[in-house]
Amino acid sequence: MDTQFITSLAIILATFALYIFIAIYNKAKETSEFYVAGRGVPPIWNGMAIGADWMSAASFIGMAGTIMMLGYDGLAYIMGWTGGYLLLTFLLAPQLRKSGSYTVPEFIGDRYKSKTALIIAAICTMIISFTYSIGQLSGSGVVIGRLFEIDAKLGTMIGVVLIAFYAAFGGMKGITWTQVAQYIVLIVAYLVPVIFMSLQITGNPLPWLSYGEIVGKLGELDRELGLSEYFAPFEKGTKWQFLALMFTLMAGTAGLPHVIARFYTVSTMKAARWSGAWALLFIGLLYFSAPAYAAFSRFILMTQVAGSKIAELPAWTKTWVDTGLLKVADTSGNGILEWSELIIANDIVVMATPEIANLGIFVIGLVAAGAMAAALSTAGGLLIAISSAFAHDIYYRIIKPTATDKQRLNVGRITIVIATLLAGLVALNPPGAITQIVAWAFALATGTFFPALVLGVWWKRSNSKGLIAGLLVGLGVTLTYIFAAKYGGFTILGIIDTGAGVFGAIAAFATNIIVSLATKPPSQEIQDAVINLRYPEQMTYKDGEVYMEE
Amino acid sequence: MKKIDKSKADAYFREKNTYMIVYFIIWAIVSYGIVLFAEPLSDIYFNGFPLHYYMGAQGALAVFIILLFVNAVMGDKIDKKYGIDPNKNEAIGRGSTVDH
Repeated sequence: MDTQFITSLAIILATFALYIFIAIYNKAKETSEFYVAGRGVPPIWNGMAIGADWMSAASFIGMAGTIMMLGYDGLAYIMGWTGGYLLLTFLLAPQLRKSGSYTVPEFIGDRYKSKTALIIAAICTMIISFTYSIGQLSGSGVVIGRLFEIDAKLGTMIGVVLIAFYAAFGGMKGITWTQVAQYIVLIVAYLVPVIFMSLQITGNPLPWLSYGEIVGKLGELDRELGLSEYFAPFEKGTKWQFLALMFTLMAGTAGLPHVIARFYTVSTMKAARWSGAWALLFIGLLYFSAPAYAAFSRFILMTQVAGSKIAELPAWTKTWVDTGLLKVADTSGNGILEWSELIIANDIVVMATPEIANLGIFVIGLVAAGAMAAALSTAGGLLIAISSAFAHDIYYRIIKPTATDKQRLNVGRITIVIATLLAGLVALNPPGAITQIVAWAFALATGTFFPALVLGVWWKRSNSKGLIAGLLVGLGVTLTYIFAAKYGGFTILGIIDTGAGVFGAIAAFATNIIVSLATKPPSQEIQDAVINLRYPEQMTYKDGEVYMEE
Repeated sequence: MKKIDKSKADAYFREKNTYMIVYFIIWAIVSYGIVLFAEPLSDIYFNGFPLHYYMGAQGALAVFIILLFVNAVMGDKIDKKYGIDPNKNEAIGRGSTVDH
């Protein structure tokens, strides 16, 4: 065992102990604490919790690398994964909070007065959240496995046990406060290396201001090598693919049940508004930094690694070559590693940065702890979403409405443990790369919940038949396009599987509207309830009149 | 509970929506608009970046954050203008849970 191993292990164990302590301290005693943290989370803290809930292993480990590989085209992820917060905060979050429901399926079930709608929405929630959590668990497995030089499978199992324990124990209340701690760990871990890199390369400690000149220099280096410039637009895909991906990521953000659930934990519509603003500020700290990571890493690789003799490569390259994520084949046989001979996997950029920039063992351990925090916090939120869809929406609302608080809590906890184990089993042999699995979850949310919720909140004429048809058509079109694009080579305007949500959303909106208009309008009671969502808590709409609480 | 003029409640809803539409227009210009015109914008430089790259990497995100905070502050102002009391809302909001 070397010093690096012991340092990393100590940092990770210390953060794990912190998360478990917080979960035990905030144990959920009632169902309202288990599902919505007792509805009293202050907006700033909720903003941090949303940030941790939101930023997954894909954001932390994968995004900077994706931008480095794709250049300008990778920025669709930056704009898409942040611009969605406007859709969510303006169109949905305050209104859903006013409705008073515990979960997204419950809102849909009550809004449309339909048990079928409730069940379909609960199943969609479970499918989307389950898909997403597989990505998180395999991500945490990769981190633990690589760090301790054990099999990634064993790493995944360690992550599974930990998540199942603290999510089942603390419920939403425990998760909220562990997520706050996880946000702090992950943002510090993300910013420290990029600030040091900025100091090393430009002498300026503010990477956000300093990397512009590096982006310019990368363009020059590319021109010298006869490549297209780093920042040249639409080199890796069409303009339409960029726009479709950006839309899918934005609308998916607004339709992901585990993210919406975080807005149920605050006390008012006003607090929901402020939560959205704080959340994007906290998320922005990481998203502002990812393109800087990408630029600095590419610059170091191009100027310090490429062009050196194969025999004299820095020591860190060997460890990563061993993992298969870095390839340094001297295909031209001249003994010198050229830029075109260097093949780098997206996922190593952030993880390898502390070694590339020679930042020391403490920072390497910190980055590993940050990556774990990102994976665990998102997985925790996802498991609560799965658990509430089953224990609250299906078990309590459909199967056994007479269940006591205690029975409901027990079912909720058991669901979490089973869901974690199942997701862990699938994650042992993941069906795709982390970013790919995550992209599918977004496409599904865009094709199902986004249209259903927007029309449910903003259009009182939408009825249960329209909703059910819309959900099924949206799901069908999205899945068909993903498979046709990925395995059949079928594309429209060059839009590939990751942009599939745009077609699902159009189909679902159209179906919902056409079927609703062709069938009977919903009851006056439902229409009144929809109008009531327009006003703040103090105002109530009833029978064409507005009443105000004094 | 006191009955209030429906037109007052409608004015509240309209005012909030007007602001929201303005925010969404700005949101669309800085993201979708810039992407549509990425090629011509790439000849303009800002702080060392080509402009289209700058907007994708920092500009759009900064505008999003500002819009969300403006919305939060303006939302509070509009509430105040229509005599909405945040403490009252909190008292009602905490208790408002659909019948479980």
